[in-house]
Amino acid sequence: MTQNRVPITRLNKFFSAEDFNLDISMGEEWLHGDMNFTLVLYRVDRQRTNKDDVYGETLEDGIQFMPPVEFKGYVQVESPENKDLGDSRLSQMESGNIKVGVYQNQLDMLAIDISYGDYIGYYETETRVRYYTVVNDGRVNSDNKHTYGGYKKFYRSIVAAPVNENEFKGI
Amino acid sequence: MALPKKEKKYLPLIPNKVGKERRQEMLDDIQEKGTFLPKGILHADLDRGMLDFVKESLKLVVDSKSVPTLDKIITTQGWAQFTETWDFKDLDENVKLPFVCTVRQPEVKYGTNPATKYNIPERLRFFYATVPTWDGQRKGADVYKIPQPIPIDVTFTVKIFCNRMRELNEFNKVVMEKFTSRQSYQQIKGHYIPIILEDITDESVKDLEKRKYYIQNYKFLMQGLLIDEEEYQVSPAISRYLTVLEVGTKNRQNKVSTKKDRPNFFDFKFDYQVGTTGLTENYFYTADIKTKDLINVTSYSVFINGNYIGDDISTIQITNGDTLDITIVKTDVTLDSYIGTTIYLL
Repeated sequence: MTQNRVPITRLNKFFSAEDFNLDISMGEEWLHGDMNFTLVLYRVDRQRTNKDDVYGETLEDGIQFMPPVEFKGYVQVESPENKDLGDSRLSQMESGNIKVGVYQNQLDMLAIDISYGDYIGYYETETRVRYYTVVNDGRVNSDNKHTYGGYKKFYRSIVAAPVNENEFKGI
Repeated sequence: MALPKKEKKYLPLIPNKVGKERRQEMLDDIQEKGTFLPKGILHADLDRGMLDFVKESLKLVVDSKSVPTLDKIITTQGWAQFTETWDFKDLDENVKLPFVCTVRQPEVKYGTNPATKYNIPERLRFFYATVPTWDGQRKGADVYKIPQPIPIDVTFTVKIFCNRMRELNEFNKVVMEKFTSRQSYQQIKGHYIPIILEDITDESVKDLEKRKYYIQNYKFLMQGLLIDEEEYQVSPAISRYLTVLEVGTKNRQNKVSTKKDRPNFFDFKFDYQVGTTGLTENYFYTADIKTKDLINVTSYSVFINGNYIGDDISTIQITNGDTLDITIVKTDVTLDSYIGTTIYLL
């Protein structure tokens, strides 16, 4: 079944599809070529993941994921937070969330999607990787910021929170 | 309807004692390797006891793995140093979930345990035991005295940090099973200290864009007591004593005259002087009057209470209140006459 395609002609007088594609390609060249932030996406296999039949929580080492995929994005790691666990006096330094801006084009080329609960690995050093779970998959990106002033969606802002090792620890 | 399971989960190798034997077992347990005095118990001992209680009685096992318990009371100072030596750390050197920890409320209040709530003022010391001594020459004893223990209430919060509901459920089950009877006991230095489950609260992190984990608080009230060994008092008992008796030399006490025994019989003589032929006698006792001598008497007639009884009767029976009349006929009226009798009291 063919899908209806409606050409986007807004802003056409001074910003055409060619301009849009040019800007995106320049941005990707900067992000992928110059910045080169590389992340690994672990998409959870929701069919095979061993989860609790009552609460739906994953069991320890029970998460099954699809083959990891490297992707590029613009990474911002928030400042760590020094705080108590609840109202206890167990104070500890907790890592901040990670915000990833990723071109939709990149996701389309890799044929991947990022969803709630998926895991993202980000290598802080050569040997140390921190894992995050997606808490905001940025799927709804219809705002002006994500549509180049209202022209067309071109990137997603992903927010992921750090996870404990007993929840996910990669391969 | 569920049927009771007949199989035993384990076979007890040592049969459990009940009744008097169990009480003796508990007493032996308390006194084992002990001294004559009860062991002192202070705040740190109670805290240690609570940690042991959490570690042993509230042990949590999930998926065949033992959930670690922090074996320290969390204080404001010690945590930073303690984390340096903690075995279960994550990438950031933080304690790895899940785990259980114990937090003590710093304030310790006066106790509400009814067994020790009411006290005797002025910290008096009370007799506890008399312990025999021997100094090589003489046997003696020491008297041990202790003051009344001070009741205190210590509030602990046992926190479980985890990120799965089943871990919460399991820990809740362990706690509830332990506190089905409202309170549980922990033996701390020989003293059975009651612990009461007061409240269960939740302070889990629910923010959408935060690291998510559960925190549940189990608030326990330990009804403890303080016994300070510094307040014990040991004093020597009396090992020997000397009795001194002082006696006065003068004796001014009146002599006591001894009374003769009352006789069962006695003699009595009826005396008839010249011109007299009758005598009347009132009796206030019961007796038999037996005549034995008649002097210048030809015959005599006996009347009791005015009633004629007879002549020349050898035994006259009288009772209390009788009036006895004896009239005689004299042989020679110019002379006195006598009737000798013996009165036998009845």
